[in-house]
Amino acid sequence: MMMLEHEGKRLLAGVGVPVPQGTVIEASAAPDTAGAGISAFPVAVKAQVRSGGRGKQGGVRQVRTAGELADTVRNLLQTSFGGETPDAVLIEPWLSIERECYLCVAVDGRAGGYVVMYAPRGGVDIEEGPPPARYPVGAPWNFRAHELRKILKDVEPDYQWREKVIALAQRLVRVASMHDCSTIEINPLAKLADGSLIAADAKVVRDEWAHFRNQEIHALREAEKGRVGKLLRDCLDMGHMYVRLDGDIGLMSGGAGMTMAAMDMIAEQGGRPACFLDVSPGPTSAHGYRPALAMLDADPQVTVILFSVFGGGTQMQRVANSVKELMAGRNSSKPVVFRLDGTNVDQVPGIFAQFGAHNHARLEDAVSEAVRLAGNPA
Amino acid sequence: MSVLLDRTNRVLIQGATGQMGTFFIEDARKYGTNVVAGVSPGRAGSMVGGDVPVFGSVRAACEETGADTAIVFVQPAAVLAATIEAIEAGCRLVVATADELPVADTIEIRAAARANGAAFVGPNSPGLISPGKAKLGFMPSFCYREGNVGVISRSGSLSYEGAKRLTMAGIGQSTAIGIGGDPVKGTTAAEALALFHQDPETSAVLYLGEIGGSEELFVAEYASRTDAKPIAALIVGKTAPPGKKMGHAAALIGSKAEGHQAKVAMLREAGVQVANGLGEVVSATRAALASRTRAAAVA
Repeated sequence: MMMLEHEGKRLLAGVGVPVPQGTVIEASAAPDTAGAGISAFPVAVKAQVRSGGRGKQGGVRQVRTAGELADTVRNLLQTSFGGETPDAVLIEPWLSIERECYLCVAVDGRAGGYVVMYAPRGGVDIEEGPPPARYPVGAPWNFRAHELRKILKDVEPDYQWREKVIALAQRLVRVASMHDCSTIEINPLAKLADGSLIAADAKVVRDEWAHFRNQEIHALREAEKGRVGKLLRDCLDMGHMYVRLDGDIGLMSGGAGMTMAAMDMIAEQGGRPACFLDVSPGPTSAHGYRPALAMLDADPQVTVILFSVFGGGTQMQRVANSVKELMAGRNSSKPVVFRLDGTNVDQVPGIFAQFGAHNHARLEDAVSEAVRLAGNPA
Repeated sequence: MSVLLDRTNRVLIQGATGQMGTFFIEDARKYGTNVVAGVSPGRAGSMVGGDVPVFGSVRAACEETGADTAIVFVQPAAVLAATIEAIEAGCRLVVATADELPVADTIEIRAAARANGAAFVGPNSPGLISPGKAKLGFMPSFCYREGNVGVISRSGSLSYEGAKRLTMAGIGQSTAIGIGGDPVKGTTAAEALALFHQDPETSAVLYLGEIGGSEELFVAEYASRTDAKPIAALIVGKTAPPGKKMGHAAALIGSKAEGHQAKVAMLREAGVQVANGLGEVVSATRAALASRTRAAAVA
């Protein structure tokens, strides 16, 4: 879960990483720039959004006077950045930056743990430059300053700066592990005129599955649920995973891989999936599936629903009985196409016969029926 | 033959008295898995599944029963402690199927397993099965039959579907390993391939992958070796939008190289038989097996 810049910087400041002294103005309250007590100018006014590319979209503005500040804050809070209107703005002293670098600590499969990435030139165009130098750390206690020094020697000639970067990287690896961060990206990592280092921006991503041991992550999760509509929130409460797509076939499926395989098959047969909706993490009771079905029933974009579950630990006779209960209490006429397979699937046809539903043995057939019902050419 | 798991593994179950543990014991024993002990702190002295003794610690279970393999069915918050206990008690194979495990915990478990010479499979995985011999996970048994194709999968349900299609087409499997959907894995695709490479009875490998992450890079790297066993693959997520997490934490297209097109092109370049969708999994695997036969004939 992505933290806003000011949230990430608060975390970093708490562990001794230098960050600019900022003031946060929330969008929810009536924005009061006069009351914020900002007297030194110029300042940077930064839209607090989770989507990337903010700098390129004008989300960071330089402001020179108190009069200009109120207008800029109001303006930024009403602007959409990548479809997202800021929750807040962050006002910081305008830094006179001598150099912009890039430093990132992230979870990395190849490293079997954490990786440190550094580029001597940071900023908004980092992706266009040569790839950053990589130090695969693995487990956090395997960080060795001399290993990173060896890697950075060819990349960063300024040895005083290099040593500061190494010390910071070491701290960030510890912080990532202790505070369950999957990414801590500082871009730019700024060098000021006096040679000191400061995190001019921060992108911190937290591991949502650490919610049980981290109050901050728990709060982020709850806040994320609070930002979506009630129907989707009910699904998220069941543990379901949802990504909206632009088609008309409401796909309700079990397992991330099988859900994607079904999406791909829908497209292959000329149809268009309306969503990625993985219901496997939730309970297999009617209660567990109800929010997902309710959401797809209510979605005007969805014209047909494809319910597909291939279960191992999930026993199919239970799923079939839940479906039976669900369909009995449903008041939508959207067609539902079923494909259940897996443990105890032999009991499914008997249960389905009790309410006149048909279970497709093959995913291909279920998809082709869904595509046909959606009115797309096969 | 098979890798990691066969009839000789003596299996203990951590969290044996919970709902999942109880279901697993019955299902796994029916399949032939040699379940020798349960571990449940505070329940020592009782029995599960009729006649399987329960111990209060993994060490006690290993000492009393000769258990050498552990499968863990505990809450995500307890997985770290349970797996480390099994690894340090000397288990050679430890399986944790749980999803929703913090990645910091996986990193620690992986490091402990490596330090102790144990294999760790999971998390967020269905476990593994060596058809006709033993299973350590929830996969539906009827989807599998004994044979010579190794299966590696990032996704549970997709591995059931893939294996079932092979089985119905008469193609059996040596071992199917669920490497899991998380970014850090107990056993990576590269490590699973290295195991299959050493197994004389695995003739080809079916790799079931997804968009996101760098796992496929290592599959391609292996496939490029002159002594590689032939590989078939399916990469799902052709229609997944970039920048969105598709259920699995690792299934996110963050850069072009993590997208479907780039992965498929890279794998084909390396000589992998890549299926266009689920419908071609069987034909791609057949093609891989046939290329091995040709290679053998030339040799």
